[in-house]
Amino acid sequence: MKAGTIYDELARGGISRREFMKICGLLAGALGLTSVPPVDVNAAYDALRKPDGLVNLVAEALQTKPRLPVIWLEFQDCAGCTEALTRSHDPTLVNLVLNTIDIEYHETLFAAAGAQAEAAKEAAIKKYAGQYVLVVEGSISPGSGQIYCTIGGRGSGDLLQEAAANAFAVVATGNCATFGGLPRANPDPTGAVGVMDLVTDKPVINVPGCPAIPEVFTGTLFHLLVFGAPPELDSLKRPMPFYANTIHDRCLRRPYYEAGLFADSFDDDGARKGYCLYKLGCKGPTTYNSCATIKWMEGLSFPIQAGHPCLGCSEPNFWDGGGFYQGQSAPLLRPAAALAAGAGAVGLVLGAGMATANQAQKKRAHPTEQHKE
Amino acid sequence: MNWLAILDFARGPFFEVALLVFIGGLAYRLMRILLLGWHFDRIKPAGSKLGGALISYLRGILIWPFIPWVRNTFSKNPVIYIAGGLFHLGLFAVIFLDAAHILAWQSLLGFGWPSLVTPIVDWLAAIAIVAMILLFINRLVNPVLKLISGPAEWLNLLFVFIPMLSGYIMAHHLFFAYEVNFSIHMLAVDILLIWIPLSRISHFMFYFFARAIHGADFGKRAVIP
Amino acid sequence: MQAQTAVNTFVHETGGWVASQLEACTRCGMCAEACHFYQGTGNPELAPVWKVELLKRAYEQRFTIIGKLKLATGIDHHVTDDNLLHWSKIVYEACTLCNKCSMVCPMGIQLGPLIHEVRTGLSAAGMVPADLMSAVHKQEAEGSPLGVTDSVYDDRLEFFEDEYEIKLPVDKKGADTLVVFSSIEIMKYPGNIAAIAKILNAAGENWTLSHAGREVVNFAFFEGDNEETVLFLKRIFDAAKDLGVKRIVVTECGHAYDAIRWTAANLMDVPEGVEITHIAHLLGELVRTGRIKLKEGMYDNGGTITFHDACKIQRRGGHIQEPRDVLHVLAPKSFKEMIPNRAEAICCGGGGGVIAIKEADPYRYAAFELKVDQLKKVGASTVVMGCSNCRLQFDDCVQHFNLDVKVAGLSQMVADALIE
Repeated sequence: MKAGTIYDELARGGISRREFMKICGLLAGALGLTSVPPVDVNAAYDALRKPDGLVNLVAEALQTKPRLPVIWLEFQDCAGCTEALTRSHDPTLVNLVLNTIDIEYHETLFAAAGAQAEAAKEAAIKKYAGQYVLVVEGSISPGSGQIYCTIGGRGSGDLLQEAAANAFAVVATGNCATFGGLPRANPDPTGAVGVMDLVTDKPVINVPGCPAIPEVFTGTLFHLLVFGAPPELDSLKRPMPFYANTIHDRCLRRPYYEAGLFADSFDDDGARKGYCLYKLGCKGPTTYNSCATIKWMEGLSFPIQAGHPCLGCSEPNFWDGGGFYQGQSAPLLRPAAALAAGAGAVGLVLGAGMATANQAQKKRAHPTEQHKE
Repeated sequence: MNWLAILDFARGPFFEVALLVFIGGLAYRLMRILLLGWHFDRIKPAGSKLGGALISYLRGILIWPFIPWVRNTFSKNPVIYIAGGLFHLGLFAVIFLDAAHILAWQSLLGFGWPSLVTPIVDWLAAIAIVAMILLFINRLVNPVLKLISGPAEWLNLLFVFIPMLSGYIMAHHLFFAYEVNFSIHMLAVDILLIWIPLSRISHFMFYFFARAIHGADFGKRAVIP
Repeated sequence: MQAQTAVNTFVHETGGWVASQLEACTRCGMCAEACHFYQGTGNPELAPVWKVELLKRAYEQRFTIIGKLKLATGIDHHVTDDNLLHWSKIVYEACTLCNKCSMVCPMGIQLGPLIHEVRTGLSAAGMVPADLMSAVHKQEAEGSPLGVTDSVYDDRLEFFEDEYEIKLPVDKKGADTLVVFSSIEIMKYPGNIAAIAKILNAAGENWTLSHAGREVVNFAFFEGDNEETVLFLKRIFDAAKDLGVKRIVVTECGHAYDAIRWTAANLMDVPEGVEITHIAHLLGELVRTGRIKLKEGMYDNGGTITFHDACKIQRRGGHIQEPRDVLHVLAPKSFKEMIPNRAEAICCGGGGGVIAIKEADPYRYAAFELKVDQLKKVGASTVVMGCSNCRLQFDDCVQHFNLDVKVAGLSQMVADALIE
């Protein structure tokens, strides 16, 4: 057993071997894995073949690895993802995972401020080069001469590139860091972009949501810790263990959808009976996330359960993807009445012109006219 | 390119353009006919032209498609006759009474109306799809239809069939991810909207002309159309 | 060149009325199911929708952008003289303009009148079957396609007066009613003339015949030549004006009634205050008002009697109920309807000039097969009709198909049942 491993630290804190294995069991759940992840870790395969394989795998990792260094950058954000994470109460899975990482820099959580804090960050980047995970919260504004969102007089684009250069992986948390989020919504004054638009030479893992589900975020980090590699990702670089299914697929109101029972307003009988919220603008059918299974507040509830339609916050462009309370089958754009009337008027005028030309043609085709020709 | 972006395009700018083409195109075709010159009918009528036209509409809508033996003519292939009727019934039920489509109407018109129960719409949609397949087969084998079918007729079938089928697949979450089915459905609808003013699918507009002419002509002669 | 003339005529004739109906067509092909010529022969080219193809092509190519594009890209082709020849065959020889197709068209397109428009274009281009053409020329020159000149007319009337012991007033000024016979009746069914004279006299009608307006048949209307149609109609209207009659009664001739009652006013000025009606209507009225008395049930003992609806008198003429009222008096027990009947009846297959064209005989017989079916199904021993043209076709086909069915004219049956 190497000194400085997570197990050592836990043991120093008075955690017994039995308690440690229990923790490993809980943490194994945090991975959200149902099968072997596609990472090249032979030990992982061997371990998984045994009963309690995943637990042993976690225990193995915790006994051999030090805490995972994390540098946390915030750009155009609301700190909501941080809030969601830190508002979790003891003892939670989230907190357990947080105990296995080491946050080296975090604006919101840091006691230090100003030049001192920036110096700490630069030190961490150098010290843990190639080992730390860079977590990004908030969208980046690389354009416009980087005049938006500056920290210590430096633009967000530069700050990101600098921190990403030495990172072993980058985790973008929340819709802003992944897809641009609210800052990117029309009219997008800052030219906001997500991490994956700028960082192309490092593994980028997107954990979208507004905010990201804490368990999903920590599960992703923990995966990096245990396997030393990102989990399987979908086409939007989202971890498959948490983003393989739509909200709709796992929704507790799904049977009402199938039966065609819908709430028509927030205070009608259908709403009280818990009918499907499709007509109230639910974006569940096209939204991939774990809200319906992991839920929020330690599994207490999630928006649809509480009676509010899904906003689709883990999908790109969700701010502009139709009104929150507009049914998904409604068109995103519809011609303004004046434009539609204009098209109609153009049609009418052209049609009238064609008819006039045809009338003239009819006259020319008159039998007596033909004789003249 | 991810499917959600395609979906946003199909529900957004493409739909808007398609709708404008649809409105402008139909207005053009309507005007071209309306102003082509109409002769004033100077024949002394024996019956009511208006009455004839009304009966003609009612017969056309209510009786005609579902009771083939009314005209005692379709003993040879009643299935095709009924298929045409059921296709239109299913189509109208799906377009105007399906909950999801009413949401679309609501956003376009500003008002909605109660929907039909999903399982009924669902069955009607399935029937309409089967009816379309029958009509397609009929067009393939019937000698008259073979003679009068050009590329446009086949495209008509195709452009109506894809939205119907993709809509059904989407409603049942079959084969592909929902947003993929949704995208295909919306793209097909947009293409259909543009195709309608270019093709004979616009018969829903000229139906009223032809039916009125037919009814008035028969009503004028005091014959029930 | 001929094609150009035909297309120009189509273009000239195409107003909103034609265009809106052409636009409404969905190419569903249902009209074929109604056409007795298609049903009889199975030839898809005889489908009504295909018969108006020329008109549709002319409309598309000359009036629409898409049509012009189709022409430019080679999807569609210009109308050629060969096309005219081909269509001349199908619209003259295999169509009676009975308009049954419009009854089954989901859109209600008036295919009969549209095919009449096609005939108009073809006649302008001179693409008319020779038999029909010569009949028109004969009517123009002699006043009748069957050669009923003034002197022949006088001879025939004299003969009828002797043969049937009736009085036939001719050119009687101040008469109320001008009766116009068709030359088919004059030459082939003189019994009809005697019967109608007997009925009118029995009813005390103040009626007359006319030399100038002796022929109600209008072969130019078959041909689709509007100018000639007007010329022939004018002869009758002039006679009516000269004699100062209040009413023109068309006898048992279908298309003539369509021309004079339902077309004339849109082609020309018709005399004011002159009512135009059909003998079928008059018969119904006379029986209803009791102006003539009939032996009730007179024909009840001769087997099943059925009524053939003539396309131009019943469906296109509007006199559907009157003949039935009369038959319910004459044969209340043995009268049985064929199916389909009334407005939806199947046409005899001889109208619209078809019977006048020798080359059309195979089509004509094929179309009549549907009628044979109907007659057999209803088990008719007598078939009654109010149209001499239908009667010609029935007489010929009953012989051709060896049917044991008696063909009768409605007026004659009424005349025979009169109580003096």
